[in-house]
Amino acid sequence: MTTVDGRRNEDVWVVIPVFNEAPVLESVVRQVLTVFPNVVCVDDGSVDGSAEAVLRTGAHLVRHPVNLGQGAALQTGLTYAKAQPGAQYFVTYDADGQHRIEDAAAMVDLARSGAADVVLGTRFADQADSVPLLKRLVLRLAVLLSPAGRKLHLTDAHNGLRVFTRPVADNLQITMNGMAHASEIISYLGRSKWRVREIPVSIRYTEYSRSKGQSLLNGVNILFDLSVRNRGG
Amino acid sequence: MLIQFVLVLAVLTILYVFVRSSHAIYVQASKRIALVLFAIANVYAVMRPDDLTAIAHLLGVGRGTDLVLYALVVAFMAGMFSMYQRFRVVDRRYTELARTVAIREAEVVNRERGLLPPRSVSVASGDGDRVPVASEDPAR
Repeated sequence: MTTVDGRRNEDVWVVIPVFNEAPVLESVVRQVLTVFPNVVCVDDGSVDGSAEAVLRTGAHLVRHPVNLGQGAALQTGLTYAKAQPGAQYFVTYDADGQHRIEDAAAMVDLARSGAADVVLGTRFADQADSVPLLKRLVLRLAVLLSPAGRKLHLTDAHNGLRVFTRPVADNLQITMNGMAHASEIISYLGRSKWRVREIPVSIRYTEYSRSKGQSLLNGVNILFDLSVRNRGG
Repeated sequence: MLIQFVLVLAVLTILYVFVRSSHAIYVQASKRIALVLFAIANVYAVMRPDDLTAIAHLLGVGRGTDLVLYALVVAFMAGMFSMYQRFRVVDRRYTELARTVAIREAEVVNRERGLLPPRSVSVASGDGDRVPVASEDPAR
């Protein structure tokens, strides 16, 4: 664990979408809080006491009255964080403990250096071996199928760890409530003029995160949702 | 056969309108016109079955009822797509409503937990804009 001065990150808000993550959530949030003082957990209608777990920590809690989906939870968290005074950097972070907080800190440092407006985590830069083979193939395919992903030379379109600077977050409007939001974010970045950088992060595929991971079949749903979004009335 | 060409064209048109169209008013008007025309055609088909059969033969379909069935399939598909689009719009509004409620409640909860400073009242809207309402006495 790197020792990072908490005061330095007063302008950073970490958004954690939460849906039934009670077993690991409290420790994940506490760990994030050691580096980033501002954390907002968006409870997307959990029924397993995830909200109570957040209340035991120093993180902000926003509760969706009904389950809306991870995309909606991210947007809610960003909306909440943007309203807080002094918020300049926004980090999206998964609640299941698959990310390393050191990676998030490194990504924020990169954004802070002014070298990039958006920093995305990628699982494939060096240690791709930790990703299960089938998942690796599907995620690669997802990037190849996305024109924006190709344009930005991304290697991983569906990593939950991202850092947005204020202007990027201000213009981002996630409308895909479900899992298609990852592709939606990439296509927004592809259409914009923001400087996007990817940096390697490692993912801990624990027993728990594996059991929570989305089914690969869900890719079909994502493709369908994306092909018909924002159409007609 | 002519009917195959007509049916495939109809399905492709529906798909195109579904995926590409962005002019809501134009689409909505077309849907309504199509609905009225479909209703008129149905009445006509019931009143004059022989004419229907003649049209069916013209298109290379054996019976008039088969033609009605084909038309029904296409109309059903168009209806489903239309419903889906409508549902997406409703879903979006519902999300914005839930988000606004969630953020309002969160501000109260997190203020009570001492995470937010007492502040002037403002209105959160679903798209992230904030509209100040009035300043409030902090020592409420």
